[in-house]
Amino acid sequence: MAAPARFIRIWLASLAVLAVAVAGVNLLVDPYDVFGTPRIPGISLLKPAAKNHVMLAKTYQVARAHPVTVLIGSSSTHIGIDAADPVWPAAMRPVYNYGIPGTYASDSLKILREALAAGSVRYAFVALDFQNFLVPEHPSAAISEADRRFHTSADGGANPYRPHQIGSDIFLSLATMGAFADSISTILQQSGTFTLNLAPNGSSNEAEFFHAARTDGMHDLFSQKEAAESERVRFFGGAGVQSAETRPNLDIVGQIIALAAAHDVKLTLFLVPHHAGVLDLYWRSGLWAPIEQLKTELANLVASQGRDVVLWDFLEYSSFTAEPVPPAADRRTATQWFWEPNHFKKQLGRIMIERMLGEDAPAFGAVLTPGSVAGRNREVRAQRQAAMCAGAGGIRTSDLVSTDGCEAAAPGAVPPGAL
Amino acid sequence: MLFNSYAFIFGFLPVVLAGFYLLGRAGREPALAWLTAASLLFYAWWRPVNVLLIAPSILINYGLARAMERTGQDKPGQTKAVLIAGIIFNLCFLGYFKYLNFLGGAINDAFGTGFVLTQLILPLGISFITFQKIAFLVDIQAGRVSRFTLRDYGLFVLFFPQLIAGPIVHYREMMPQFRAAPCRFNATDAAVGLTLFSIGLAKKLILADPLSRLVAPLYGQAGSGVPQSLTEAWIAALGFTLQIYFDFSGYTDMALGLARCFGIKLPMNFNSPLKATSIIDFWLRWHISLTRFLTAYIYNPMTLALTRRRMARGKAVFGGRNTTLSAFIVMLAMPTILTMLISGVWHGAGYTFILWGLLHGLLLCINHAWRLIRPRFWAGTASYNRWMAPAGFLLTFLSVVVAMVLFRAPTVSAALLLWKGMIGSYGAALPHAVLARLGAAGEWLTAVGFHAAWTSGSFSLEAILRIGVLLVIALVLPNTLEILAPYEPALGVKPAKNPAWLTRRMSWTPSAAWALGLACVALAGILSLGELSEFLYWQF
Repeated sequence: MAAPARFIRIWLASLAVLAVAVAGVNLLVDPYDVFGTPRIPGISLLKPAAKNHVMLAKTYQVARAHPVTVLIGSSSTHIGIDAADPVWPAAMRPVYNYGIPGTYASDSLKILREALAAGSVRYAFVALDFQNFLVPEHPSAAISEADRRFHTSADGGANPYRPHQIGSDIFLSLATMGAFADSISTILQQSGTFTLNLAPNGSSNEAEFFHAARTDGMHDLFSQKEAAESERVRFFGGAGVQSAETRPNLDIVGQIIALAAAHDVKLTLFLVPHHAGVLDLYWRSGLWAPIEQLKTELANLVASQGRDVVLWDFLEYSSFTAEPVPPAADRRTATQWFWEPNHFKKQLGRIMIERMLGEDAPAFGAVLTPGSVAGRNREVRAQRQAAMCAGAGGIRTSDLVSTDGCEAAAPGAVPPGAL
Repeated sequence: MLFNSYAFIFGFLPVVLAGFYLLGRAGREPALAWLTAASLLFYAWWRPVNVLLIAPSILINYGLARAMERTGQDKPGQTKAVLIAGIIFNLCFLGYFKYLNFLGGAINDAFGTGFVLTQLILPLGISFITFQKIAFLVDIQAGRVSRFTLRDYGLFVLFFPQLIAGPIVHYREMMPQFRAAPCRFNATDAAVGLTLFSIGLAKKLILADPLSRLVAPLYGQAGSGVPQSLTEAWIAALGFTLQIYFDFSGYTDMALGLARCFGIKLPMNFNSPLKATSIIDFWLRWHISLTRFLTAYIYNPMTLALTRRRMARGKAVFGGRNTTLSAFIVMLAMPTILTMLISGVWHGAGYTFILWGLLHGLLLCINHAWRLIRPRFWAGTASYNRWMAPAGFLLTFLSVVVAMVLFRAPTVSAALLLWKGMIGSYGAALPHAVLARLGAAGEWLTAVGFHAAWTSGSFSLEAILRIGVLLVIALVLPNTLEILAPYEPALGVKPAKNPAWLTRRMSWTPSAAWALGLACVALAGILSLGELSEFLYWQF
């Protein structure tokens, strides 16, 4: 009888001690940067595990960062724009990168609202992915886990779900197997060559892309994304791209402009650059006309609503976006500006910042206004034509672009599907 | 309430156990009354209206049982009539909640009728409870149950460890235990119970649940008509087989452990079914309490009635090697297929479950036929076992895995799509990242027909690794009952006379090492109760 009783005592005591130990490790390592535990070199300096919990991590980070400038967008912003870049002027720092992979315009609106809750934001840069404007976005009415975490509700009032969600976040970040596994993984990855990191300013390093480029080569990176983008283009083609006037997504941009104005925040909107290989996919599928129309509508919207708002367009064919992709056999050559068609490198991100800040920088992108947008659209068509005539074979990994676009294109030629 | 929830582990269970032991000092009656009340609360937790549905059903069954007890052996005709009424009532109760919509949909499909299908909320554990209630009435009619009270009957039906997912228990094996239960803390029972619960929790949360995340999208895609390659189809089939095994056997281990904490032993439900060397052997190891019920209350009565009828007509009956084809078909194949059809329908309202049951019925018939004809040309049992045991294992395993696709697939066409994928109809693909890293093996795979696909390499790798590890656990390691055999973890389980080396090495004792190890296992399970989960695309 004594042995079973002892067994139970040891079982209970071990369970309690181990539970406390697990919570202690999770608090110390803080794999998702929820608690803001000081980062310890060799233990928790890098935060690779935050990758799968970016929204959770950034909502806690931004509250601690007290940013003057906030960057909002999807994965391209998250990875491609460095909040610690020295080009940011002192008056605009601290800068916080609130880019969240896989988000849409409606998410950007919520994220801007949350960033403003920090109380210190004076400048906001909001990235717009053109793909998110080709079909109407229907934001879910359901309250997501992220919504519950935000300070304010959609109506601007205090979020009643927040206290419970905060409690849940703390408990789950301390006392789950996943958090513990991520803590251990975080410790083990500290000395790795390609360890991903979510910095306290919200920026992510490019370790995973470096690793993939080193092991698989740039060609594979581009191929994979091109295949995915081809599927997307087919979806857009099937969905029937709508006229810009009816797109509710533009209303969301209008709400972003209004929110920034209400908080006296200087807002810069920018259309995210994509590699010419992807632009070409849309061109050939008859989707370029709606993209041009989107630019026109955005320019009109900003002019009509924005007092202190600038709209930048980085969707273009240029030496930055039309660089050739190394062939499949070449696993050593790296592209200079893009990791793959939808994700630009931090070097290009720096040029974009410089351009948007009005610093001295190579010509890339242009400000869109109602007066300039038509000329800009013609300019990009001409850029494409020039790229084709220059023999832009190699901007895509399959179905390689030849000079066929050159032959048919007289100056000012309209794209397929133009209205 | 689920066993794998914070509310249960940190709230309900400690309070109910403490109350049970404390009230047990005052006597058995208050302790058992407390246990019955707690079981009702357990049942009501998820949806209180469940109690309003199940309570009248319990009272009606109790009334019918009382009526049968009164008429007893003196008026067998009346007793039988009440039994039939009881069975019809219980089947209608189950049918209304579980099958009405399916039947309506099937009639609409077949005849183009327009029955309006309403969404009915299925009372928790209704299939298990219905079978137990029917078994109780049959046992009374057969004179196997003699005395009972409403409290006894209520506790038998509602006893929370087995309420939701079994094992399906008989009144005659439970009531003697309740009547003899000391209702006091017993360290050995508690230690065995904690061990069973810890292992079960880990099986469910650490081994089974992660597979769901990997397997569900593949079945979802098949349901949408997306063909699956050889690799993905096999991941779907093997993954789900292992998921359901560890899920259900884990839940059963928890049930056994919880009951044991109250000093009650439940019947065994799983005995390493994936190690079976024939499909008959499989059904003696898989969901044993269901097989026992179906055999005792459906198959045996049916076979008995058919035997009597054939004998009355002077026809040949079942007789080993001399069995005629007609006797085999009428007396074995038909009852087997019908019983397995009922098993399929019991598992779920849908064509896939019906086909799953029929397929297993067919496999059992083939197995029985083989047993009959094999001695005619292969008499030596020793040589047969030496050659055919491994072959039988492989064949059984493949049959079970293939049939499981029907169990999980959302539609029959999705199952067909997956089966076609499993034979390579849609090609054999591996993620580009995996194939590129396999070196010479990758080149060989390409040469034999595998091609690279832009699918997630980490997904495939994780799935293959998890399936590999779980196969080793399921096929090589001793099961929970074998590990705990010296302590009779389930009713009637005794240590094997000559346990395998690994079973001897892993035999449980109430030692400090086991306590520490099981605390780690339990903690891993508890920490997995509320994983942080975010939409996976939010990586990039």
